[in-house]
Amino acid sequence: MTALVLVLGSVARASDPDNCLLCHQFRGLSRFDVDGNLAHVFFVDPSYVQQLRGPHARLACTDCHPRDQVAVIPHQTVSRVSCVEICHLLEPGSTERRFSHGNIARMLDAGAHSLQTLSQLQFAQGPLLRDKQALCLYCHDEPLFRSPAAVLPTIDVTDPRTFDRCEVCHAEQIPVDVAYYLRHIAARLQQSRPPLEQAQVCAVCHTDPAVLKSHEMKDAVASFVLSFHGKAALLGATNAATCVSCHVHAGENAHLMLGHANEHSSVNSRNVANVCRSADCHPDADPQLAAAAVHLDLPTAWGSLEFWIAAAFIILTLGTFGPSLVLCVLEQVQIAVGREHPHAPAVERLVEKLLAKPEGRLRLQRFTVNQRVQHWILVLLFTTLAITGFPMKFADRGWSRAVVETFGGLHVTRTIHHWAGIALILGLFVHLMYCLATLVERSRERTPAGRRVGLFKALLNLPMVVNPGELRKTCQLLLYLMGRRAEPPSFGRFNVKEKFEYIGVFWGTTLLGLTGALLWGQQFWSHYITGRIFNIALIAHTYEAFLAIIHVGILHIVNVVFSPHVFPLSRATITGDTPVGELAEQHSEFVREAASKAGITESTGEVYD
Amino acid sequence: MTKATAARFGGHLPGGKLLRFLREIGVRVYAVGIVALVCWLSFFALRYLVVTLMFPSKAPPQIIGIPTRLDRELLQTRRSQWPGIEMIANPRTPPAHYHRVDGWIQPDRFNDCTQSGCHLALPHTKRKEVRAFLNMHATSIQCDVCHAQSNVRPLALTWYDLDRGKACDSPAALRAYEFVTSEEGRKQLAEPTAAVQKKLVDLLTAASRAADGLYALQQLARHVASVRPTSDAFQKLVEAVRSALPRHFRGEYGAKLALRDPATGRPILKHPETAKAVTEYLEGGTSLKGAERDALLARIHPQKRAEPLHCTDCHRKDDSLIPFGQIGYPPARQEALTGPTIFQMIQNISAGQPMNLPSFISPSIPQPVPPQPQATQPSM
Repeated sequence: MTALVLVLGSVARASDPDNCLLCHQFRGLSRFDVDGNLAHVFFVDPSYVQQLRGPHARLACTDCHPRDQVAVIPHQTVSRVSCVEICHLLEPGSTERRFSHGNIARMLDAGAHSLQTLSQLQFAQGPLLRDKQALCLYCHDEPLFRSPAAVLPTIDVTDPRTFDRCEVCHAEQIPVDVAYYLRHIAARLQQSRPPLEQAQVCAVCHTDPAVLKSHEMKDAVASFVLSFHGKAALLGATNAATCVSCHVHAGENAHLMLGHANEHSSVNSRNVANVCRSADCHPDADPQLAAAAVHLDLPTAWGSLEFWIAAAFIILTLGTFGPSLVLCVLEQVQIAVGREHPHAPAVERLVEKLLAKPEGRLRLQRFTVNQRVQHWILVLLFTTLAITGFPMKFADRGWSRAVVETFGGLHVTRTIHHWAGIALILGLFVHLMYCLATLVERSRERTPAGRRVGLFKALLNLPMVVNPGELRKTCQLLLYLMGRRAEPPSFGRFNVKEKFEYIGVFWGTTLLGLTGALLWGQQFWSHYITGRIFNIALIAHTYEAFLAIIHVGILHIVNVVFSPHVFPLSRATITGDTPVGELAEQHSEFVREAASKAGITESTGEVYD
Repeated sequence: MTKATAARFGGHLPGGKLLRFLREIGVRVYAVGIVALVCWLSFFALRYLVVTLMFPSKAPPQIIGIPTRLDRELLQTRRSQWPGIEMIANPRTPPAHYHRVDGWIQPDRFNDCTQSGCHLALPHTKRKEVRAFLNMHATSIQCDVCHAQSNVRPLALTWYDLDRGKACDSPAALRAYEFVTSEEGRKQLAEPTAAVQKKLVDLLTAASRAADGLYALQQLARHVASVRPTSDAFQKLVEAVRSALPRHFRGEYGAKLALRDPATGRPILKHPETAKAVTEYLEGGTSLKGAERDALLARIHPQKRAEPLHCTDCHRKDDSLIPFGQIGYPPARQEALTGPTIFQMIQNISAGQPMNLPSFISPSIPQPVPPQPQATQPSM
């Protein structure tokens, strides 16, 4: 497309018949008004005219700036451009048409952005427009055609043969006119600006502190970018809902925007559901969907259910991540201060003896091959979900857009996220089956007395189940790490940190799966639940995901990669060999049990026959 | 530290007590580093949670970072420094300026005249007839070129990099234009190889980067890179490059022309031993009058020409003060800068004569007889 219009550039030069661009193309053709602290910039981007980049590109400068004022150099004092003046446009076929934006002014006067309202705007940094400049400039700069690709995907404008049929009748106008009108019409079939540009336009007033204060409004742009619509805009989606999508009725002129209190407004509580359900947006949704908040900024929603749910999740994060963080830090502090684990040397010797024997080595493997495979599938899915999900949570960060574009755009990123989520749920299901099979198998084992273990006892004996004794050991570990206790507790095959992480995976996958399914199928679920549930689902999904990522990304990675005990990487889930230091300090009970089963004593190292 | 941990950090290696001691210290320091990293990351993570709940959010820079006022502050920033500008192809222009701002005036951190606080990036404010034209030059020519005394003819000039303040090659945009318009370049481009294509792409990319990532040049480079060099599309794009490049000779080079020190070859950007006088002048402000003010200004501008250069000292075919060819302007660009259209327009305007547009823009219309240049010279 760009190639075509560039090639056409030379053909289109007639659009500057007065050759104003000879001078006005230069960046520095400007002056600074010291008293007004404003630069007067006379620069005009020549590519706009030369490449016919917008609907005003075929206008001569003198169509807006009075010829008698600018036809002489130096120019006389040039009067302000009025957008509502009547001008004469040359239509295809050389017919002339009288044109004016006066009807827009009339529409504005009937809406929230009346000329009177606009003329009274006071901005925090001082006036944005010069005296008597057209108020249209608050929202409008030189209009650009959007790419036709979004609405005419099958037309290849770069292919010269695309216009062959047109040439039969319009040879002398090809390709300039046809290409121009093609882009003009294609641009009119979509919103005039991409979502991010649209947000920039509205932000001029709707983020300015002085404007917000004088009109008693909240920062609607800030809350918009917290919604999925806003995030999509930030992540480069060109079809996301913009301010205009919701704040005027479908198909209606954007200048007819009304305040939400007006019963005719598209965002009035009576009408907003229809806006959500318009053909371009969520046509199959139930009206309940409209209860989902597009402008939810939690700090300004103090006291709402959504606020307290978020607060609860933050407390949950502090309550789960906090203790794990304390343990992780204190363990590193032990190494930093050189505190020796009292039993470690003895257990290390025991481990070495076990490792010397094939049977002992086997007994020291804490993860079976099956478990290791499951772990790495989990790693793969978790990483995929984190990489594809975090950019959506932190859409306002520069790196997010880069990540999303690396995946091929927001649609592809979301698709990957959804399917990775499904795979994770399936993985959880498979693991549950695995646990159940293990449970049944162990329940059938016989006690030394010859009785079957039974399901309940087998459940309590599963290696990942936390039993009351381990909670006591956790307190003992904390006291030991704080120097309040001389003897550290001993742990078996899995220590308490690992068990809590395991429970976290269960809880997290279930919650993220449920809320993710709700968010993915909003249109479907809206027939059964109110839109506010989606607010809560979003809060739960996003805060739980954040908790999972900081837990794994910070603490788990330190424990299995960076801790001096395991550095550069614990091979426990790769080859099955847990580092000796880790075994000695964190799994001494497991080592002793393995030694006992292998017939090795701690004191002598002799083998029982 | 357990024996196994020590071994993991090289404890199995032979070494004396000192080596073991150093090794243990290393492990301890490493553990301290881990603690610091974990605490730092956790602090930011938990702070983020609290902030999202307790403090109202603001719209991100991609949306509100685009300037809304054309004020003094904006003149001191490069377009690439506008927050989030790289996220958007066509950012909203500041409301007071309707036309598209696809680029912006590049401030010069190495220019004493503007860095001192005395002059703005658009320094010429007095004569309405010429101030904007003169400011147009301030984006690609350092003040001293026109305002400092020099007896060399043509002037000894060099380009300097606006990022580093060091002498540099001629701007990539000019070199690209030279490549596509010169006889040698045309030959290469007529039978292009991958190397020729790469050269063109590199030049266009460098030109875009110098112009603060100018989108049009960036796209042009991408298009040239995306076709086979032997294809018709490549030739069409080369033609497009020839046509498009002159639209980017608008003072967006990432470099400026300055007087060159003949001894070192470096650009002359500083005015040594004037800092004290500048301070006195700025402190004195409007209270400085008459002879005192003049004396101070003389100390600030010891090398100042009695009268600055006149436009036609440079914009002329013969005996131009600027050796356009030597400093990298391709012949086609030289022709545009020294051609009769500009020469006549300048003559006319600087003579205080109004200039009617149609009389110079259309070659088919007879040109007016240019009036004789008068003694009046444009000044700031």
